[in-house]
Amino acid sequence: MIDQLLASVTDGMLVGVVYGLAAMGLTLIFGVMNVINLAHGPIMALGMFTVYLAYTSLGLNPFLGLLLAAGLGLILGVIIYWGAVHRVIDAPHLSSLLSTFSVNMIIIGIGTAIFSTSFRNVDYSLGIVTIGPITVPGTRFTSALLALGITGLLYLFLYRTRPGKYVRAVSDNRTSAGLMGIASNRVLALSFGLGTMLAALAGGLIAMALPFTILSGGSYELKSFVIVVLGGLGNPIGALLGGVILGLIEGLVPVFTKITWVPVIEFVLFVLILLVRPQGLFGAKQ
Amino acid sequence: MALLEVRDVTSGYGELQILWGASLTVERGQLTALVGSNGVGKTTLLRTIVGQIKPWQGKVFFNGQDVSKLPSYKKAEMGIVMVPEGRQLFTGMTVQENLEMGATPKRARAKAAQNLEKVFTIFPRLKERATQKSGTMSGGEQQMLAVARGIMAEPEILMIDELSLGLAPVLTLDLFQSLRRLRNEGLTIMLVEQNVRMALKVSDYAFVLREGKNEIHGPSKEVEQNASVQAAYLGI
Repeated sequence: MIDQLLASVTDGMLVGVVYGLAAMGLTLIFGVMNVINLAHGPIMALGMFTVYLAYTSLGLNPFLGLLLAAGLGLILGVIIYWGAVHRVIDAPHLSSLLSTFSVNMIIIGIGTAIFSTSFRNVDYSLGIVTIGPITVPGTRFTSALLALGITGLLYLFLYRTRPGKYVRAVSDNRTSAGLMGIASNRVLALSFGLGTMLAALAGGLIAMALPFTILSGGSYELKSFVIVVLGGLGNPIGALLGGVILGLIEGLVPVFTKITWVPVIEFVLFVLILLVRPQGLFGAKQ
Repeated sequence: MALLEVRDVTSGYGELQILWGASLTVERGQLTALVGSNGVGKTTLLRTIVGQIKPWQGKVFFNGQDVSKLPSYKKAEMGIVMVPEGRQLFTGMTVQENLEMGATPKRARAKAAQNLEKVFTIFPRLKERATQKSGTMSGGEQQMLAVARGIMAEPEILMIDELSLGLAPVLTLDLFQSLRRLRNEGLTIMLVEQNVRMALKVSDYAFVLREGKNEIHGPSKEVEQNASVQAAYLGI
């Protein structure tokens, strides 16, 4: 029993940081421009397919394929920003929800036409990693480390580089940023691109662990919402911690009861947090 | 040629017209005041000059160039810099980072180190607080930082909206004296103030705005002596 618990905790945490990475993308965009990106899930799915196609058609190592997924996510995000978000950025929330939802439908429509909705998986192994009594798949272990590494890089970018500080400044006070000569629109486009890049990266990492279809993004998008609410809207580190909590729930619940209870518990938690602590467990953006 | 010229500008928000043909000129090296009561359109005029809102009619010239339609970040790049009402700091960022963000225009980037030294000399308090989050400072310190951030942008003209708002009189006096010093070092400043008395004391030239139009303008000493200004704003 104790071994099984330990294994579930480890597994949950490893998956959780990858969930956290995806949620970070959602929360970054919300934190900077108050837009909830409903195209988050399909972009994760595109990240999955990028890694899959690079591996199966080009024979590219999936971890290198992640670089392609990141590039695609970034470029796509900038395009989506200018095409669908820029015009409604100061409109009421419903406008940006509808417009990003349209992008969601477009990607899913085209994706279904090209890839159908059959399951794919990236059949790639890095062997087994053994830490004391616990053994985990090597890809899962590496993915979690990568997710942590990417989080670290995101923070270095936001706190140590000039463009990163522009992102924080625009997020803090867009009007003032303009007065100081910061081209806010470009910074917003970059921020949106970074958010979708994180989504695509998380998708690519998930593709190495689990089978997926072009529609799989949807369920991960829902998880991202739960995580973002857990961690506090607009708080990237909160998203990472929220991801770990969600991963732990997914790891531990099946030890005690049927796995079908997982989403029930997740969404009850979601509603409870909204009722009791709407700023999230780790505080929202000020 | 005047550094800044506003010619017959009308402007407002949506359907609401605020400015009904405002004009003014700012000469290089001078401290010009724009005064008037609450709600006459002083802030709207400033926002139109910096490009946060576009003039409906009329034009804004800077160094003889028509800049009426440019967005604010391009104007900042040219040297038209505003310290907005209510300070509008990057409250989640440190004092140092706020100043860094001030030095965004290319022309300011090259002189960032020099300007940082300058603002720390004028406002030594900011140096002590360099690593503190700006939102946690007192109102006076925040106003110092807002002005300092503006100076970091290496402005050709620094426009300050309601410097005295919400500050203790002693602090306000200090800040006005700092502005006077900056003007003596050659900086062109335009000051928008509700505190008419103080603004007229510290400035070289003044415009009085009433109901979205210019009412009177002239050297501040003369405006101060004007009977209608005395009656309306100075309580004499």
